[in-house]
Amino acid sequence: MASTPSSAPNWHRIQIPRPLQRLFDRFPLRTYEPNDLPQRSQHLTSSDIATLYVFSTDEDARIGAPSFNPGCLKWQTLLRLANLQFRILPSTNHASPTGSLPFLLPPRTSPTSSPPPIPADKLLSYAAQQQHTPSFPAEQPQQEDSPSSLKKSQAYLSLITLSLRNAWLHALYLDPCYTALLRRLYIAPCSSSRAVQTTLLYQLRRAAAEQILASSTNKVVSSSSPAGAEAIDEEVVYAAAWDALCALASLLAESETGWFFGAQRPGTFDASLFAYTHLMMEYMPEGSSAAEGRRRTMALGAMVARAGKGELARHRERVLRVAWPGWDGRRGG
Amino acid sequence: MANSLGFGGSNAAGQIETNQTASSTTAQQGYTGPTKVLDEHLLTPASISSLEVHGATNTRRSLLDHVLKPLVEESAHAGTTLGQVLDRIGAATKKLARFDIFREEGFGVFLAEAPRPESAPPTDRTDLDISIRVKEKSRLVFSAGTDFGNAEGSAYTNAVARNIFGGAETLSVNASAGTRTRSAYNATFSTPFNGNPDLRFSAEALRSATQKPWASHEEHLAGANLRLAWLTENSDTHALALSTVWRQLTGLAATASPTVRADAGDSLKSSLTHTFTRDRRDNPMLPQRGYLLRTVSELAGWGPLRGDVSFAKTEVEASGALPVAIPGLGSKSGVSVGGGLRLGVLYPLPSGYSLTGPAQPSRINDRFQLGGPTDVRGFKLGGLGPHDGADSVGGDVFAAGSVNALIPVPRTGPESPLRLQLFANAGRLVALHSRGKAKEGSEGLAMDSATVLKGVKSAVAELTNGLPSLAAGFGLVYAHPVARFELNFSLPLVLRRGEEGRKGLQVGVGINFL
Repeated sequence: MASTPSSAPNWHRIQIPRPLQRLFDRFPLRTYEPNDLPQRSQHLTSSDIATLYVFSTDEDARIGAPSFNPGCLKWQTLLRLANLQFRILPSTNHASPTGSLPFLLPPRTSPTSSPPPIPADKLLSYAAQQQHTPSFPAEQPQQEDSPSSLKKSQAYLSLITLSLRNAWLHALYLDPCYTALLRRLYIAPCSSSRAVQTTLLYQLRRAAAEQILASSTNKVVSSSSPAGAEAIDEEVVYAAAWDALCALASLLAESETGWFFGAQRPGTFDASLFAYTHLMMEYMPEGSSAAEGRRRTMALGAMVARAGKGELARHRERVLRVAWPGWDGRRGG
Repeated sequence: MANSLGFGGSNAAGQIETNQTASSTTAQQGYTGPTKVLDEHLLTPASISSLEVHGATNTRRSLLDHVLKPLVEESAHAGTTLGQVLDRIGAATKKLARFDIFREEGFGVFLAEAPRPESAPPTDRTDLDISIRVKEKSRLVFSAGTDFGNAEGSAYTNAVARNIFGGAETLSVNASAGTRTRSAYNATFSTPFNGNPDLRFSAEALRSATQKPWASHEEHLAGANLRLAWLTENSDTHALALSTVWRQLTGLAATASPTVRADAGDSLKSSLTHTFTRDRRDNPMLPQRGYLLRTVSELAGWGPLRGDVSFAKTEVEASGALPVAIPGLGSKSGVSVGGGLRLGVLYPLPSGYSLTGPAQPSRINDRFQLGGPTDVRGFKLGGLGPHDGADSVGGDVFAAGSVNALIPVPRTGPESPLRLQLFANAGRLVALHSRGKAKEGSEGLAMDSATVLKGVKSAVAELTNGLPSLAAGFGLVYAHPVARFELNFSLPLVLRRGEEGRKGLQVGVGINFL
């Protein structure tokens, strides 16, 4: 109440008479070195290299394994493809300047000060700036400079950001088969308390259902049900995902290089797709859960493997080899 | 207080004449007129023949029995004098008043000599019929208004249901919004334990959202606690609370530091807290004489408590004031000198039942904050201690002290609530860290017990490394019954880089000053 930080400096500048200002300038009489930061802070924020905060586990973070969140994995892959030196640390959406992970903290400029965090959409320009190289990996269609291919890329990108994303959200958050997985990945790290976990599970599920409803066209909403998870027609969601995967597989088959749009190196589009295909195959493979028999639709991992002639599964392997060379796919710990 | 309890109240006595049909006796005359007759009567043997309580229509009999039965039983003793009976009635009515269900001004005690059966043998013992009249407070009270906490103003609405089941149970529901606490809701159910107003049990549920601008974030709390509070015979208070709070650090400012970002998110604190208060000050808002001693000890997360954070935390506060006699100004000069000292330590503990296992270092919402107009003046709120950029990230060990002199404002006199103040105060707030080993990300966050001990020791040693951060100044104090207001001019003399001193004027509003 006493100190209103925003107004105080102005007030000083306008009102302080000169002799008083001279008196003020003499104080403090003595200034010591700054206080050291607390242990937790030193450990989590004082690194010599940039830190990418993602959804991850302590063990995965230690070895830099792929994040289990598609949004984070996309940027993690791109930064690895850009050869930026960085470490990853587990975090939560609360920590991010944009409200969702990932974000990157450059190394500190002094023990108690640091540059502002870099949100996801500025990551590539940061990486380029760090290495004094032109922005890489760039959007492939921009290289081709053709408006039609840009349009094509955007159309296919929407297959990922809508159809695949909705299917992933539905499977992980709303499908009871994966409740245990959801708890392990997103709920348990937040708190050890049952009550908190239950509340978070409910909140996450509701948010996921809202996301699916908001981002999808009317067809996934069955007309009879009210809002919420019940309003989502899951068969439509998974059918859209299957169609999307088939379309992407055939698009990839057109490319001779093994990367989308005939690029020489994997780019943003490849990373965006990999972020879903990798997680689907990793966490939702065929016959992965005991409840598989009750499912009306194929597991998402199986869809990825079977789409087209298996192009997407091979594409995932290629991205893993390029972005995580030498990693055997095993988790730490 | 004694006056309001009905002793010596002349209007109460006047009512007796009209209300009581029983014959007025010598005992009552003695009670109304403080004369020699009274002194003689106080030594006459007396016993209680009957005791009636009027006006407690919504109060359970059992609650009154807890307080009044001992009175009747003790007075049955042969050697009891009238004086003793009166003293005990006085104590009992005070006890009733502490239930907080009766109006203070509504107490009245009436004594009458019980009519003696003709057959009874004559004795010199006076049998008394006692009638205690009470007025119950409203059972349902709604209020709204503004409130001052430490460095915060807020508006609130409050509903209190008193004496719900007739046993002095209270349910209080509160909603407020303030300058810093964006919203707060709580509901507290409180009841005396075993009919004893000095032993209260309460259960509270709360939810709040508070802005912490000194560390660029907002903290959302949702929790509950069980609390047992008791008043000892020498009027010290103890409280033992078992609480569970879900804390969520969220709503970070764009400029939030990495330290705050690293601590963002959820954590559950489950803790047992003991608070001891001994307040012997003559006036809490403007102490001229007396002392205050307070200790707060908290154990979180260890053993059966569980939760996400685990530590032992203790805080001691001592302050005192002495009046200074100025020759020529009489005995009450209104001049006083005072001092205060606060110390605190947070010791990270392993979770579970282990004492030697790995312990997690503290989070920002568990660490101490220091500085501000109500503790170390001359610094911004949270201005002391480790800072990451502009954020005050708190420390695990602190010490703060102050000395001040209060002088009446000329021409207002010692009785006025205004004082001129001269003060100097200093503090150190230090974070625990294990030097050197911190940088390697691969080692994990947890510290083993030897590292924790070494860290706490070195943090305590750091307190005395160099001069403490120090500020001095003068100002005006206004002690309103609700809160104390201070307007000070101060300058920081010593500080650490990163610490935020405040040069010039500073306003402090609060109820608990260092």
